[in-house]
Amino acid sequence: MRRENEFAVGLVVIAALAVVVAGALWLSGAHLGKAEAVYTARFRTVGGLSVGDPVVLRGVRVGRVEGIRLAQGNWVEADLKIYAGVQAPPKPAVIAASASLFGEWAASLVPLEQLPNDPNVRQAIAEAVAAGGNKWPGATLPDIGQLTAQASRIATDIATVSSRIQSAFDSEAVLELRSSIKDFGQVANRIARVTNEQANVLGSVGQNLQQGSEVLAKAATNLQVTLGRVDSATNQGQLATILNNSAATSTDLRAASQDFRELLDAAHKNQESLVRVLVAADSVMSRIANRTGTLGLLVADSTLYRETTLTMIQLRQLLSDIQANPRKYFTFSVF
Amino acid sequence: MIERVGRGTVRAINAVGRFGHFVGDMVRAVPDVATWGRLTIVQMRRVGVDSLPVALFIAAFTGVVLALQASYTFTGTVPLYFVGTLVGKTMMLELGPVLAGLALAGRVGASMAAELGTMKVTEQVDALETLAYDPQSFLVLPRVIAGTAMFPVIVALAILTGIVTGWVASLVLLDLSTQEFIKGLKLFYRFKDTWFGLFKSATFGFTITLVGCVVGLRTRGGAEGVGRSTTQAVVYSAILLLVLDAFWALVLLR
Repeated sequence: MRRENEFAVGLVVIAALAVVVAGALWLSGAHLGKAEAVYTARFRTVGGLSVGDPVVLRGVRVGRVEGIRLAQGNWVEADLKIYAGVQAPPKPAVIAASASLFGEWAASLVPLEQLPNDPNVRQAIAEAVAAGGNKWPGATLPDIGQLTAQASRIATDIATVSSRIQSAFDSEAVLELRSSIKDFGQVANRIARVTNEQANVLGSVGQNLQQGSEVLAKAATNLQVTLGRVDSATNQGQLATILNNSAATSTDLRAASQDFRELLDAAHKNQESLVRVLVAADSVMSRIANRTGTLGLLVADSTLYRETTLTMIQLRQLLSDIQANPRKYFTFSVF
Repeated sequence: MIERVGRGTVRAINAVGRFGHFVGDMVRAVPDVATWGRLTIVQMRRVGVDSLPVALFIAAFTGVVLALQASYTFTGTVPLYFVGTLVGKTMMLELGPVLAGLALAGRVGASMAAELGTMKVTEQVDALETLAYDPQSFLVLPRVIAGTAMFPVIVALAILTGIVTGWVASLVLLDLSTQEFIKGLKLFYRFKDTWFGLFKSATFGFTITLVGCVVGLRTRGGAEGVGRSTTQAVVYSAILLLVLDAFWALVLLR
């Protein structure tokens, strides 16, 4: 009886132990007997990543998050246990992201040169790389909660804008808008009326144009008749005469143009003389303006002017005196 | 009325004191391995192995019901593979230990209280003392140790049974594939889920057997007293089990 008890108890205990150990290992995805490598990744924040979450490479589970801790420099370090036989990318980066809508997170290994085209992720990775050391750089993608929060903010902004538009379009604005539309309708009616009138004008213009075309056609007919006459005229030597006359006229014109050219040459020479005269005059005027030379001094010195004037007065008086008393100045004697 | 309140207070303090005295005597009996060691295996058989069918039966149906209820709740809103998550988590953390504990409180606690109560009212316990046997090491310690040791074993097997029946129900009744069920089962698994349930069940075993022994050994009044003690043992065990459940959740899961 005692041995039976021991056997039964031992059996149950062993079975339970086996269930617990095997179940825990299987459920946690542990790989017994295989050397697993542990790498450390550096994040600014790990988001919802927690211990036990899977590490995936190109969508395949290749390890698990073994530990998460705060580190110096406002970093968070996560230990990633990678299964034996898994070849990680040569320069890996770790992207922690929500794996589903229900709160599951995973750490994805991606080559450093194949980062997702997200400026925040790239900046976070660059920051982690710049921190140095042999830790893998890590970044976190926003989870669905953050995205919905952002969407909520956007929706709130849209609601605010809608509200503002609504307040801007009050009853008065609606009335004004209605009035504007009515005015626009009237303007459109006027434009239509003017367009109709212009269409009539254009119609008459077209008619005139048609008449003009007909006149032109008649003129062309007349021209054709005239050309026919010209053609018949050439047959009687009249055209040769005209041409001869034209040649003579041309010779005369050529001689006239030669004379004209000579005339222009002479004028050109006279022009040069004129230029020289003007240059000399300009020199004289410059000297006068600069108060140099006799004329300049005369212009500048009022005293000389006054003396000259006085001299002229005295000369006039002298001439008057000579005319009045010639014998006073001239004595004639024949003998 | 004031006298009644005073009497109740004194009675409560006496009860606590007697319980402390009882536990103290039990601890003092621990070195007497020669006595309780050979008897423990018998109790382990009775408390553990013989209780296994009841615990597994309850767990089996619990697993099926959990799978069906999870599917009923999730359909249309949550992917169905979360049935595996709910079955696994619930069986490991709560229903496995608590339902097995409640079932064993009825079976083991009542059995111990009745057995020890009968021994008490028929003066067999006094006879043991007369023969220089310590009732603590002869009667109490083997039962408490057996309960503490075997409850996790029973609960582990019950959890396994519940998960397996939940998986079978998912396959047969819910059109859920094995891969999906396992994906859900492994999704949020932490090793803490395992040890938390087993640790909790060990405390349940300790409490249920201790309550059974305490209530049984203070039985008075013949067959009627034995019946009363049996009822009290089951009621106290169930209450304490639920209080402990909440206590460990507060302490270990926060």
